[in-house]
Amino acid sequence: MTGPGRPVRPRARPRTWAIAAAVVAYTVVAGRTVGFDLSTFWTVWSNPLWEKFWPIPWDWVLDRHNVIDPLVETFQIAIVSTLVGCTVALPVAFAMSPLTSPNRVVLVASRSVMNVVRAVPDLFWAKLLVTAVGIGAFAGSWALSVFSLAVMVKLFSETVDGADPRPLEAARAAGGRHVPVVRTGVLPTVLPEYVAYGLYVFELNIRASVVLGLVGAGGIGRVVEAQRQYFRFDRVLGVLVLVFVVVFVIEQVSVAIRKRLV
Amino acid sequence: MATGAPPASNPQSGPESEARPVRPRRTGRRVAVVVVAVVAVAWSASGLGVGLDRLARAPGDAWAVFRQMVPPAFDEAMDRGVPAKVLESVHIAWIGTLIGAVLSFPLAFLAATNVAPRVVRAPVRQLFNVIRAVPELILAVILIPVTGLGPWAGALAIGIHSVGTLGKWATEAIEGVDGGPLEAVAATGGRWVSGMRWGVLPQVLPVVTSHWLFRFEINVRASAVLGMIGAGGVGAELVSQLVFRNFAAAGAVLLMTIVVVLAIDTASAAVRRRIIRGAAARGDDDQDRNAAVLADLTGLGRPGPA
Repeated sequence: MTGPGRPVRPRARPRTWAIAAAVVAYTVVAGRTVGFDLSTFWTVWSNPLWEKFWPIPWDWVLDRHNVIDPLVETFQIAIVSTLVGCTVALPVAFAMSPLTSPNRVVLVASRSVMNVVRAVPDLFWAKLLVTAVGIGAFAGSWALSVFSLAVMVKLFSETVDGADPRPLEAARAAGGRHVPVVRTGVLPTVLPEYVAYGLYVFELNIRASVVLGLVGAGGIGRVVEAQRQYFRFDRVLGVLVLVFVVVFVIEQVSVAIRKRLV
Repeated sequence: MATGAPPASNPQSGPESEARPVRPRRTGRRVAVVVVAVVAVAWSASGLGVGLDRLARAPGDAWAVFRQMVPPAFDEAMDRGVPAKVLESVHIAWIGTLIGAVLSFPLAFLAATNVAPRVVRAPVRQLFNVIRAVPELILAVILIPVTGLGPWAGALAIGIHSVGTLGKWATEAIEGVDGGPLEAVAATGGRWVSGMRWGVLPQVLPVVTSHWLFRFEINVRASAVLGMIGAGGVGAELVSQLVFRNFAAAGAVLLMTIVVVLAIDTASAAVRRRIIRGAAARGDDDQDRNAAVLADLTGLGRPGPA
């Protein structure tokens, strides 16, 4: 406070108004394109089609052949791709951190490649790979491996960035070559995080693998997609509820393990 | 990101221990973990039914597709109006984010420990948790029969899913406010609403706005994907190019999407930094949120590990 009297309220500058006007204008344009209209909330809510989602046919949903087998396949996809993605991620993440990268060229190259890989949404990868190697769980696990790699590399290379540089210096001073230096100087300090992030990526993969089947990449999504096309929305809802419960349980277990690790 | 924890095998460097520290051995546990992991992976790999020949052929197949994508057929993509489709995805993400913001912000006040009673808090928090657990794609699958195919289904699915994360973040922001202004409002006899308006809102608005922008970045990716199942945007375009094995055009679609996604990420991150720095910078910024970005890349994850 500079002096007595009530402080003057700061006024919005013209630039602020201009920005606000631009945001509002864009919102209107976007809303028009998307077909936004407040009344659609009501039409969606009161649509008689909702009745087709009920009652859930539990006999069908809990049938081994219909749902349980594809659900198991979903988890198999998640397990394999977590392993593949995280294994490849270990050396790549070290290459991406200035602390442990062998040289600048590798650093910049690995960083830019991973940025581009990350910019492609996971289902785009799935669709691309389905087209390339055929419909099924193989394409799905491959796509998910790429996705795990992208996530893992980002999370883990940041951990490596923050690692204590002193053991590394010591190992270098002792005349170690690059790989052994990283292996003994940095790896032990970041290993707990590596495992914890691996489990975290596994959780993400479980969720992601559920939707892979929507584009033909295997797993439970295949069932959802098929039943959706037969307009059996009660079955769709049943499958989704089952998946939701199973995923929730797996996640709780994984979260508990991660808490113990870090 | 937390700095690397000190190694568990750190020697206790007491004055009396001159000798080389003994390396701790936990062979039994280690073997058990490895066995479990190997069995799980072997079981999974066998279940996927991937023969060695298929595994060996796959890189070649993928490379063949990739080679046909380069150079991308931009002319054809232009003719088919792909840029407009990419923009449509951005519009969907924007409207979805707004729906999420408008629905989640008032709810967050009812979920924060410091301003809401316990009875209200618990159900609202559970609502956020449940919503967060359902991916947009699944929401879209449920919504499309009711709304019909088109961008509106995508915007609604994204909006509903965003309520979960945005609500959670806003709740955390509200819980982090300085209690002084709230107390001041209470001391002058202000009601609960006045306390929120004058005591809490000015403190959280910058942070919450930056969360909205952040969610918008995630939603742009999500809405691109949603198009693949018919909820408007570029996704449908990519699928149809790939189905007709027109890889050059698919490459162009992919490239345009990547460019727009990266451009929006960069612009939005710059605006977020400006907002946060302009308003007495709090600790959480890009670093903390990075995990959340990645977790949410697909809209499938939860913000931040643990």
